[in-house]
Amino acid sequence: MDIFSAFAIIGLAALVHASFQLSVSVLTLMSGHTIGTKKSRAKLFRLSAAYTSGAGIMSLLLLSLAVLVCLHIFPSGVTLGAWALNSGVALGIGVAIWLFYYRQRKKGTELWIPRAFADHLTERSKATKRSVEAFSLGLVTVIAELIFIIPSLMLSALIILQLPNEWQLLGLAFYVLISLMGLLIVWLLIGGGHSISKIQKWRESNKKFLQFAAGSALIVLGFFIYVSQVVAVTTGAL
Amino acid sequence: MEAPIHVHKRKSKKRLQQAIEPFNREKLHKSIVVSCISSGAPTGQAESIARKVTDEVLTWLEKRPEVTSTDIRRVAAARLKTYHPDASYLYENHRSIL
Repeated sequence: MDIFSAFAIIGLAALVHASFQLSVSVLTLMSGHTIGTKKSRAKLFRLSAAYTSGAGIMSLLLLSLAVLVCLHIFPSGVTLGAWALNSGVALGIGVAIWLFYYRQRKKGTELWIPRAFADHLTERSKATKRSVEAFSLGLVTVIAELIFIIPSLMLSALIILQLPNEWQLLGLAFYVLISLMGLLIVWLLIGGGHSISKIQKWRESNKKFLQFAAGSALIVLGFFIYVSQVVAVTTGAL
Repeated sequence: MEAPIHVHKRKSKKRLQQAIEPFNREKLHKSIVVSCISSGAPTGQAESIARKVTDEVLTWLEKRPEVTSTDIRRVAAARLKTYHPDASYLYENHRSIL
């Protein structure tokens, strides 16, 4: 696999990661509460920066862990079975996102995660007053959406292993940067003075599109990996 | 002196007797101010809207010795909508963001 294709796949996987809404919801809630309780713009900036850094660090740690695990399991190259398994997981979770991502028959942008988890994150995002708390909230939020980001992380880890050594760190950084795009956009919008209610209204009215796009992108990714790494190799096309 | 209005909380994870609490005007006022400011209203306007909405909710509560917190939220959101629709949206939906 050439470097351009590898980065294109990592970019697509990271975009799928970025399209997941849990971390964006927590940032929206935290910012709304910070603005509502008349905290300064500087404070809002510090909290948002800390939260985004936390989410980025956890994504980096999880991806690095996935690469390390894959490196130990496949010291002499990734097997066809591993490619097929990860493609299958991506296809399965893509379909699950189509079906279950948002809670059915519920107003707003309620996600299909355990209610106890959602209540805890809601309470913590309102109670967050210091940067260190926002940072840890960012760490926890990425773990909370792990079920959805596993295929993106695993496929990216396998692709990063295909890169020459000097490109691997760049691959990790590229993934993390793209995966933070959703958060960075919301952070910029809030920092630029857009009201929380308008952002939330946009998210609610476009939630079906976001759900469809995230699920479809994951299915496309899984299908592409399956064709390029399993079918093409077994049929001798590559 | 009038008897206090009791509010049944939406959901209690603690003991049943803790699920009922007396109506707190300040709590309602503060939550409306937070929604208004989050929706871009200046502080003065937010305080003024919150006062008006709280008064209207209190009038509605006069003949109701016991209500649920969901009732209060629904009525307050409906009254708030006439003054600031964006704030009303946020006030009504803040629990359904996650």
